[in-house]
Amino acid sequence: MKSHVVRYLIREGCRNTWQNRLMALASVGVLICCLLLTGFSYLVFVNIDHMFQNAYEQNVMAVYLHTDQTDEQVTAIGESLQAMDNVASVTFLSKEDFLAQYGEALADNTMESFQGEENPLPDTYIVALKDLALFQNTLNAIENMSGVEEVSYDANTAQTLTRVRRMVLGVGGAIIVVLLAVSLFIIVNTIKLTVYSRRLEIYIMKSVGATDGFVRFPFVVEGVLLGFTAGGLGYGLIFALYYSLQQNFVFENPLLSLVPFSAEWLPLLVGFLLGGVLVGVCGSVISMSKYLKQEGGIRP
Amino acid sequence: MIEFQNVYKIYESGSHALRDVNLHIDDGEFAFIVGASGAGKSTFLKLIMREELPTSGEVTVNNFRLSRLKRKQVPYFRRTMGIVFQDFRLIDTMTVYENVAFSMRVVGKTKREINRRVHHVLQLLDLQGKSNRYPPSLSGGEQQRVGLARALVNNPSLIIADEPTGNVDPQMSHDIVDMLSRINEKGTTVLMVTHQHELVHQFHHRVITLEGGRIVSDTGRPLHTEQVSLDATADVTAGGVRV
Ligand SMILES: Nc1ncnc2c1ncn2[C@@H]1O[C@H](COP(=O)(O)OP(=O)(O)O)[C@@H](O)[C@H]1O
Ligand SMILES: [Mg+2]
Repeated sequence: MKSHVVRYLIREGCRNTWQNRLMALASVGVLICCLLLTGFSYLVFVNIDHMFQNAYEQNVMAVYLHTDQTDEQVTAIGESLQAMDNVASVTFLSKEDFLAQYGEALADNTMESFQGEENPLPDTYIVALKDLALFQNTLNAIENMSGVEEVSYDANTAQTLTRVRRMVLGVGGAIIVVLLAVSLFIIVNTIKLTVYSRRLEIYIMKSVGATDGFVRFPFVVEGVLLGFTAGGLGYGLIFALYYSLQQNFVFENPLLSLVPFSAEWLPLLVGFLLGGVLVGVCGSVISMSKYLKQEGGIRP
Repeated sequence: MIEFQNVYKIYESGSHALRDVNLHIDDGEFAFIVGASGAGKSTFLKLIMREELPTSGEVTVNNFRLSRLKRKQVPYFRRTMGIVFQDFRLIDTMTVYENVAFSMRVVGKTKREINRRVHHVLQLLDLQGKSNRYPPSLSGGEQQRVGLARALVNNPSLIIADEPTGNVDPQMSHDIVDMLSRINEKGTTVLMVTHQHELVHQFHHRVITLEGGRIVSDTGRPLHTEQVSLDATADVTAGGVRV
């Protein structure tokens, strides 16, 4: 399509939107509601995930080394643990410190006999992971490192957390998909009302030889306008609502604190604008395509 | 050239709109299609503009065998013809100028080409003062002239008019057919459906009569038409009118 034709069609799309401004307003309203619902489900999901992450960070594994390792080897193991992708932090607990921490429970004479070369406790690294979902992979990798004797962890907590997090991810994703589909359905039906009154125009355009693309273009423009407006306004609203929520619910327990909006502003902005435009354009085009296919039988 | 070969059209509702229609219309002819309401006149035109496909038989227009035409080709086929409707079918939210210009935008003409051509055609149809008006504020006769302007603006080789004078007063009806006759004299094929017999008798054109979906009479091309048309062409050229 030539650029002057595209310019004309963009202008037509804007003119049509203005011509049908009441219905445009209704569509934007519906779209904003759907985007807000979707956005809030996303934020709820993010917050639940955040809590899991917090809970997980308290969940560490202890890596016991072979007692025959030289100091250099111990340091090297520490470095390679630190270098692993999924490792958040590594803390070294030497066998002396280990004994000092746990030896109090032992009888004094036993304690003395364990000093120096006689210390049976292993050098140990306390490792915290970044992503709980990769727990099993990381565990296997550490267990296979040379010089590692044994890894001790709280298997139940880790696995339960992983399972629950997967479930939240699945449910959250499904809710978002369903909400987007519902938005699309409502938008299609809202726009259908205006397209019905424009079926005669579509017929006239086709009778003078307009291609499907030519007839569809202004509707795409209209969808983009509606989607962009709804996305922008919806984003402003969700920011305001979430911000006031955050101001009003301050929890003592840091585990329960809300994720700050600033941490999620980008995915939300992109999601709102992209989601709005996508639903707007699909809704607009789906609702008019029936009349595009119809050849005859249109009566004003 | 328009050709119908054993054309039948049965709508899904079961009504037999056309039965075994065989017909040949040459380039440059002017034909009236007459007949009672329900005789199949509109269906006949809809087959020509490929708004409907025949149930059986073959329709050929300007060497396009319409049953073979792909959906994507239809818009380009439509651009070779101008269509005039009884109910005008103007877009009420566009000015007179935009309604006419629209046909040219569809074809991708530039603003300047459109501007020049639309003003010329509006002037030809005595509508120059109305270009910024909206269709609902015009009389029936004026609206139909806008419809005619839209059909003419791309210089089509075929004009199809379905009862174009049905909602127009008698004097204006005569003027519109007169206008169509002059366009025809420049070589454009014109097919016009009407049930106004007085109107048909005022002009010497071929008359095809439909009844119950069949052609029951066809005067063929009047022999003297060509003579008249030569004179008239001279007239038109002398008057500086170029369509
Ligand atoms: N889209 C349609 N669907 C079903 N039946 C139709 C349709 N269009 C026309 N008909 C029927 O076909 C017959 C011929 O109609 P039409 O071609 O409109 O006649 P005319 O234009 O001469 O009045 C009529 O019986 C009419 O009811
Ligand atoms: Mg009819």
